[in-house]
Amino acid sequence: MRNKLNQSDSQSFIDSLSSKFTNIVNEFDTLKINIEPSQWTETMAELKNEFGLTYFSWLSAIDWENEVAVGDPPKEPVSPHFEIICCLSESIEGNLVLVSTKVEKENPSIDSLVSIYAGSNWHEREAYEMFGIDFANHPNLTKIYLPDGYEGNPMLKSFELISREVKPWPGDVDVEGMPEEGNKEGES
Amino acid sequence: MDTTINPNNMPHISEASVSVEIETEDMTLNIGPQHPSTHGVLRLVAKVDGEKISSVEPVLGYMHRGYEKLAEVRTYPQITTLVNRIDWVSGFANEIPFIAATEKLMEIDVPERAQHIRLILTEMARIASHFVFNGAYALEIGALTPIFLAMEDRERVLDLIESVTGGRFHPNFNRIGGVKPAAGAGPTTKKDIQDLPAGFYEETKIVMEKVLEGVDRFENLVGGNEVFRVRTKNVGIITKEMAEDYGVSGPILRASGVKFDLRSHTDFLPYDKFDFEIPVGENGDCYDRWYVRLVEMRESAKIILQAIDSMPSGPLQTKVPKVIKVPKGQSYVRTENPKGEMGFHVISEGGLGPYRLKIRTPSFSNISILPELLEGQLLPDLIAIMGSLDFVLGDVDR
Repeated sequence: MRNKLNQSDSQSFIDSLSSKFTNIVNEFDTLKINIEPSQWTETMAELKNEFGLTYFSWLSAIDWENEVAVGDPPKEPVSPHFEIICCLSESIEGNLVLVSTKVEKENPSIDSLVSIYAGSNWHEREAYEMFGIDFANHPNLTKIYLPDGYEGNPMLKSFELISREVKPWPGDVDVEGMPEEGNKEGES
Repeated sequence: MDTTINPNNMPHISEASVSVEIETEDMTLNIGPQHPSTHGVLRLVAKVDGEKISSVEPVLGYMHRGYEKLAEVRTYPQITTLVNRIDWVSGFANEIPFIAATEKLMEIDVPERAQHIRLILTEMARIASHFVFNGAYALEIGALTPIFLAMEDRERVLDLIESVTGGRFHPNFNRIGGVKPAAGAGPTTKKDIQDLPAGFYEETKIVMEKVLEGVDRFENLVGGNEVFRVRTKNVGIITKEMAEDYGVSGPILRASGVKFDLRSHTDFLPYDKFDFEIPVGENGDCYDRWYVRLVEMRESAKIILQAIDSMPSGPLQTKVPKVIKVPKGQSYVRTENPKGEMGFHVISEGGLGPYRLKIRTPSFSNISILPELLEGQLLPDLIAIMGSLDFVLGDVDR
């Protein structure tokens, strides 16, 4: 039995989405719809009911920030914001789409998807504790991984990795010592 | 003296009503974090009314290691060692989606031989993981013998993985652009690099025969057991809608009747070259979840035997720069991990490491269904239901 996804199927899926959404990016086999935060819940309901994306995969956020305490900053300066991404999929055909929206860094808030996809409950709790994003109308917006008294939002780019501050990570050596290249960019 | 009591002579007793509703207070029962049936350190706070569960609140985070944050300060080749440790029962299968997402961003084509080796080892990891489930689940239901048989069977598969990669649990065998030369391949020179150890094909064929025997044995020993059937049939039913709503994936979703297997939707592993069935359940109960995994092991063995017979020759590695820089872009790649959908969303800003790495693990979504699923169930069924979800805490907490 050959189960390979038919290429034309995914193309017709993209076409049907393009007729509805204007801001679609299809890069590296990853389809992404950019929408306004005000359309968040209604878009999700529409994708679930009309486009057959009944399978909830995940929800998370990205902290876009120019001044970072860990890692490298973005290549080109960005306007600081949170990007919230929700991944939905068809359960049989396997077509997948990422839905993305931008929210402000000041008092970030967005509507909860729990009434549409029950599975978003824990994912939103994770985004809440890791980024400090508020999900309106969430039934139980509490920390999920971190202990109760924990302060701060660890996944923010401004959040330092303390152990790394005390002692630089020894793995840096691997990158610095590469032969021939003489590349020093690993020192971040 | 006649001491027998005849109720008919005691009208005050025979007339007494026995249908008294006794008001009982809910008791809070704390299960875990150190409990064998939780597969690690999951804590459940259950409110029980007698034997009936009124609500369950899972408490997570005892195993949280912050891999998403760590990935932001690591380079791409270094992250492979991290992702190995997410679901340690099937370490090899975790590497694939991350490596594939990175390769997509770098637009690298992996040599066919490397793809085949990846596929074979992924399926071996699936067999090893399902053996652990089979043994542990029977143990939780109350049968002690299967765990010993399962561990023995699984060890043979792990030995094969070890002979190629050098590691039983954490192979760290994938490289961006291919796989590394095998551990048991003997001395390697730059001109002549061997990948698979001598005798690997023959050994694999022998082990796969043993795996198939083992699966048959489990079907009789566990599946034919009356106690096991009664404890698992029609217990913990997950409907199709509920499963999709919660993002439940893998064998659990298929046991609920949804024929959704990401192996049929991958373009970076050559699954389309092989014939295999995707087993689907009907009722979505514990028994179906157990049975789907059992049949999957047979299919995995079938895939491995086919892949061995059609192993292409050629290089193991594509040429990649010595310092791996990934161009700016975003890519989400998911694969069928033994537990379900495992995916990595790599957001690259052109640096040596990702700007952000979102790790989607199957067990996290799979157990998020627990509060709804366990409500109204009996306490002894809690163990049967939790066990049938086959989660690993490293996979839940990351």
